[in-house]
Amino acid sequence: MNATSSVSSPDEEKLKKHFKVTRFIMEAGVKLGMRSIPIATACTIYHKFFNEICFDDYDPYLVAMSAIYLAGKVEEQHLRTRDIINVCHRYLNPGSEPLEVDSKFWELRDSIVQCELLMLRLLNFRVSFQHPHKFLLHYLLSLKNWMNRHSWDRSPIATASWALLRDSYHSDLCLRYEAQHIAVAVLYFALQCYGVEVPSTDSAENQWWQVFSVDVTKIIINNVISDLIHVYTLDTEIL
Amino acid sequence: MDKDLVRQSLSYHGPTLLSLLRCEQHEHAGFKQLLGDLSKWPQYRKERNVNNVEIQHFIARKADLLFSLSWKSNTPENADSLEPSQGYSAVMPPLEQFMDVPNEEKKELFFRDVERGDVVIGKISSIRDFGFFVVLLAMGSGILRDITTLEINALCPVRDVPSQSSHGDPLSYYQIGDPIQAAVKDIDRYHEKLTLSLHKSALPTHMSSVKLGVITTDDMPDYYKQSAAMSVSNVNNYEAALRQSLAFSNPSTVESLLGKLGLSESNPPSLIRGLQRENFSDQDFAASLRKKQSSSWALKCVKLGVDYFKVGRHVDAMNEYNKALEIDAQNVEALVARGALYATKGSLNKAIHDFEVALENCPTHRNARKYLCQTLVERGGQLEEEDKLLNAESYYSKALTIDKTFTEAEEALNKLRLCKQKSLGKREKPDEKTNEKKIETSAEKLRKLLKEEKRKRKRRQRSSSSSSSSSDTSCSSDSSSYSNKKHKKKRQKRNSESSSQSKKYTSSAHTHKDSYSPPADTSASFLSHKSDVKTVLEESGRAACRRRASNESARYRSLSSSSLEIVESYGGRSEDSRDSYSSEKTQASTSKTCSEDKCTNSKSSRRVSTDSYFKNTKNRYDSSNQFQGQRYSNRKSESGSAERLSRSKNSRSLPLDLPHIQSTNQLENEKPHNGNTSVSKDLPGNLLNILSQIAEFEKEKGSRQQK
Repeated sequence: MNATSSVSSPDEEKLKKHFKVTRFIMEAGVKLGMRSIPIATACTIYHKFFNEICFDDYDPYLVAMSAIYLAGKVEEQHLRTRDIINVCHRYLNPGSEPLEVDSKFWELRDSIVQCELLMLRLLNFRVSFQHPHKFLLHYLLSLKNWMNRHSWDRSPIATASWALLRDSYHSDLCLRYEAQHIAVAVLYFALQCYGVEVPSTDSAENQWWQVFSVDVTKIIINNVISDLIHVYTLDTEIL
Repeated sequence: MDKDLVRQSLSYHGPTLLSLLRCEQHEHAGFKQLLGDLSKWPQYRKERNVNNVEIQHFIARKADLLFSLSWKSNTPENADSLEPSQGYSAVMPPLEQFMDVPNEEKKELFFRDVERGDVVIGKISSIRDFGFFVVLLAMGSGILRDITTLEINALCPVRDVPSQSSHGDPLSYYQIGDPIQAAVKDIDRYHEKLTLSLHKSALPTHMSSVKLGVITTDDMPDYYKQSAAMSVSNVNNYEAALRQSLAFSNPSTVESLLGKLGLSESNPPSLIRGLQRENFSDQDFAASLRKKQSSSWALKCVKLGVDYFKVGRHVDAMNEYNKALEIDAQNVEALVARGALYATKGSLNKAIHDFEVALENCPTHRNARKYLCQTLVERGGQLEEEDKLLNAESYYSKALTIDKTFTEAEEALNKLRLCKQKSLGKREKPDEKTNEKKIETSAEKLRKLLKEEKRKRKRRQRSSSSSSSSSDTSCSSDSSSYSNKKHKKKRQKRNSESSSQSKKYTSSAHTHKDSYSPPADTSASFLSHKSDVKTVLEESGRAACRRRASNESARYRSLSSSSLEIVESYGGRSEDSRDSYSSEKTQASTSKTCSEDKCTNSKSSRRVSTDSYFKNTKNRYDSSNQFQGQRYSNRKSESGSAERLSRSKNSRSLPLDLPHIQSTNQLENEKPHNGNTSVSKDLPGNLLNILSQIAEFEKEKGSRQQK
């Protein structure tokens, strides 16, 4: 739980690079019509891979493409390599025509598949993850019933927390924190943003976030939130 | 930006956020508008956590996204419907049960949040004249709260109880302790009093399917059951309960819950500026890229196909077109190209279909339109020829509807209509018309018959000539292999003997056909019938005497024809036992004519003749060899042709088979002799010599046996 490690300049560069590539995964995922869970898996695979290995040894975009392909398999959302190649090629060469289906195309496809095998072996075939998404959605439903209907409807808490959760995959947050903690933190953050208070937080024996996860503490929540905010600062810096 | 949201957030975070917003969002047009209003509400609640400065900075920076109206509109109000959620997502006990919120506060919050139209579930606690009281147990819709322990009483007045029967007190239907599902009709929040109704009209429209009235314990809401179960079991934390639920591990949990919470996966929210859906071009999405790629790939195939087509490799071209359509089923160019290929190949209907699909996909395609019109008119013309005028008309008019300026179709249509009018006019005089038709049809029939006959004849000729040629070669090869004189002699002997033997049968009685039909090897059959030989020879001798006076030319003719018969029968016998009967017959005739010509005698002539014959057939030899190979491969057709062959042979040798009508035969033979001069020319005296040689041999043998 060394959440906020000392941010040195090469580390910051690395974070930026990863942010860029994961944003590429996200964008490709949206264009491929991927659901949130496969995208999250793809990002987790990507982060895990570069946790194990020196960044400069592999082309991050190829790794990202293979991660997307592998995540599609793991999360049972069938993705066609041709679509992945097309979308990624278009991203890397904006405005270009789609690749012709020739030997170059097939070589590219082969390299994705080869890279997928490499990743699988490197990750010891452990590519199935417990994501915070499911927890968050259940939390949201429970909270919704406890809150006043109108204040719930007024503030897009579900949308905001969902967006925050998806965006959290731009960093390796998913590797450093437990899924439930991330879910709680994201929900907490969303409520804070809209200034929404959960009823009877003061009078109740347990805080709502304590209910959802027994071992979560205010410190963890704050760490996750500050890490998340850091992700968004990268966003503005890169743009 | 959503004004209310900003206000809510500002009142929570205090004035620091407002100043931050001012400096971060000063470029945002919507915020500037808001700013004037916002400054009018200086009332902030308590100053809260100090540590959320970071969060405030964040809010300020992302305010345009966080407070955007599009996010708010994402929340639909369909979550209220009571769809069976069991199995798709875990149903959890209410949150306040875990939070241990004091009962007073729960009650207060319940009366704050309950609304008209909500469904409540309770037990009847007492029945009075004016209605009955219900103690609430659970909520059926809206806010699913833990109200079991709150002891909230609600009144359901008589006027809100529907009568169960035509007479009597509606309340008599209910008893104390009955679980009741009812709709909230009225709320007195200040006095904390509820009025219920059992009328459907009290429900909101989207919940009108909910059953009101007495329910069973099975109908209790799932969350209530969970809550009850939890208070019994020792599982008392949220996560454990969540993990216990089977539905939590359902793979479609996320999807189901996203739908309930009004989140969309197709347009996922994000606070990253680079990931805003509006920034993505629709052309960059996988589907459109694939479509583009496929169409260019398909076009490449079509181009290749057109190249093939130009060279004349129609099959290759068709393959390319089909491949193109497999890659991109809607490819207009491929459809038009394939249609054109179909049209040139004569499959007009297929061509029309392709053109039509192409036009559907691209109504402005000029070539597709042009080709379709042309093909339609052509098909119409075909139908017109087939006398299907109505169909033809529909094709013409279709062509015209597609292209009004297509004069060809118009002309054809006009012509057709004229034609139809004429025929309609004719129909008015039915007798004439039917007569005409009859004549026409009979004439047509005749023509058809004639045509058919002609075709048949042609075919027969072809087959007989081919089979005869093959038998010719088999004969020539035979003769060449039997170049040795001795062999030849033996062979001749055998031939003559067997033939003379069979001759007896043919001459004596045709009725016994069956008994001697299939001796494949005549020599063998001869051996078995040895005893008969004597009489056979005698008979043959008698017949020969009778014939001696016959015309010379007739004899010549019969000899030539019968020699031909020998030649043919060799082939026939060696190939198929079925032919043996007919060959025997012909041989019989041969032997008879041979015996007739006893005097002529030249031993070596046969060799010469066969040689010469061989020369004649030599050029045919190669081709017929091939033919023989084919013959073995398909016996069926071969035997058929052999039959036909034997038939033709029979007809030719028939007059010779019947010696007692020799005189008439002679007369008849005169004519074919002139006609068949080519045959006799082809078979000069040499053959005659052979036959006489055979005859002589036979005579010699016969005399020997007589001795």
